[in-house]
Amino acid sequence: METAFTTDALGHAYGRIAALHSLSVEVPRGRTGLVGANGAGKSTLIKILLGIIEQTTGRATVLDLDTGRETIPIRSVVGYMPEGECLPLDQTAADFMVYAAGTAGLPRDAARQRASDVLTLVGLDEERFRYLGDYSTGMKQRAKLAQAIVHDPSLVFLDEPTAGLDPSGREEMLDLIARLGSFGIDVVVSSHVLRDIERTCDWVVMLDEGTLLHAGPIGGASHERRIRVQVNGDATPLVEGLRSAGALVTVDDRRITVAHDDRDTYDLIRDAAAATGTSIRNLDDGAASLEEMFLRRGAGR
Amino acid sequence: MTERGAVYDLGYAPYDGSRLGRRGARATLFADGIRRVLGIRRKARRKVFPWMLIVIAVVPSIVFVGINFFVPGGITEGASTNATHANFFVLNGAVALVFTALAAPELLIPDRRDGVLSILSSRPLTYVDYLSSRFASLVAVVGAFLIFPQFVLYLGLAATNTDGLFRGLVEGADALPKVLLVTVIYIIAYVPLGFVVASLANRKAIAATVYIAIVIGLSAVAEAVVANNVFAGGRWVALIAPVNTADAAAEWVFGQSSPESLLAAADINPGVGLVALIVFGAIGVAFSLYRYRSLM
Repeated sequence: METAFTTDALGHAYGRIAALHSLSVEVPRGRTGLVGANGAGKSTLIKILLGIIEQTTGRATVLDLDTGRETIPIRSVVGYMPEGECLPLDQTAADFMVYAAGTAGLPRDAARQRASDVLTLVGLDEERFRYLGDYSTGMKQRAKLAQAIVHDPSLVFLDEPTAGLDPSGREEMLDLIARLGSFGIDVVVSSHVLRDIERTCDWVVMLDEGTLLHAGPIGGASHERRIRVQVNGDATPLVEGLRSAGALVTVDDRRITVAHDDRDTYDLIRDAAAATGTSIRNLDDGAASLEEMFLRRGAGR
Repeated sequence: MTERGAVYDLGYAPYDGSRLGRRGARATLFADGIRRVLGIRRKARRKVFPWMLIVIAVVPSIVFVGINFFVPGGITEGASTNATHANFFVLNGAVALVFTALAAPELLIPDRRDGVLSILSSRPLTYVDYLSSRFASLVAVVGAFLIFPQFVLYLGLAATNTDGLFRGLVEGADALPKVLLVTVIYIIAYVPLGFVVASLANRKAIAATVYIAIVIGLSAVAEAVVANNVFAGGRWVALIAPVNTADAAAEWVFGQSSPESLLAAADINPGVGLVALIVFGAIGVAFSLYRYRSLM
């Protein structure tokens, strides 16, 4: 498997405060979401992968390059959109993009061309000669994304790319991120907004207090096979009927969850409801959202 | 059928050209540093101070040459070319000090304040690359600031030479290596300290003020200690005053003696003062590197 990044027993501590605990994960190329609450260790992980800070223990690779020994080669082929303010307010977007491309090692003429291209791509071509200090929050986020891809990296790390955006700005940013994959740029998106990850990524790495909760494809993580049933009145007869028919059932208040195995579970539920005279109020496929997954796995630790 | 325009989505064009790596990144930082200090491609108000100081530095040379043109031999009569260059260095040294006070913060503080350092930290650069490129920008600009008026003076004196321009160029040429050397001396005296202050301060105005206060304060302390012979061996305190040392070293290089200089009063050879400047400069550079090691 071609990997975007790997970590092996990776740990980092800020003084006595541990930010990452022995993190081991292999993330394939593509679009990966890095999710977790504030302080989960997402930004620390990204900074280690970029060689900005050194890990305390373990090792990590980015695009098969070792972060400890091959920092400069890694930085030549990756881009980074920081979470906080990172734009020079006294420069125009056009000038800053040329500068950003130049600091990534592109020759002057190529830097100019790329700067023009990416500003058009993120929808700032009409605003390129305005000073960045005069930009709105949404425009600044786009400019931050533009500088991260101006040198055509193989992989780009986006740290909370939708932070501070209004709903429409958020949609536009997510659309842009979703398009990056089609440009041949692998993406690692760090966010605590799980819907953003669900919408833009194929893979997810869940962190909680510096430890790994889950890593895997988003489809596998968020769509466990189960059926949720809500009934009017007492649920006990239906539950007993389903269990006697061999179904795996869990009950929470009047909400029943039935494991959806290879049998035709919907028929099973229908027959059990008819046999016990239970009135069904709601029936759905019970696909767990990433948020539910995160909460459940976090609670299960 | 009417002809209509069409909008084509050209999509994304991958870049497959050359990548210059650290070399390209350093060159970009260097060039950006020069533009930044001079306010080039920045708002108009950012150009005011640097260009005003450049004018202040150059105008005396032009006026001097102009008067010399209308009164041939009038001003330079009795004074050697070396003395003229030395005097202009001492005069422009003070302006260059203010220029450095404004330029050094401009190179370092906005990158930290605006968070641009977090982007640069992800580029193919080390903190040594970053600081050395910024340092080179400051050296280049301050160097040009010091040399340009001297060059105007050299050309002006040659043009007003009574034996003709060519003769003037030849006669004045022996001062040029000294001009270069003295420029380096002033750079060593001014730039590392400017970097130390700029690496610590969070506001440009405060950094500039603190820098000038430190330089003036060091001169005042050194002059007071030497003049009053406060303690045994106190004369060596004269070496902590960079401006006095640079001025004395400049006159020394041009073969001028200044009995009223601080180093002369402390009975210290200007060559020793030069060594002290280099040591203090190296300490300043080392401190700045140490400071940025944890920032990038």
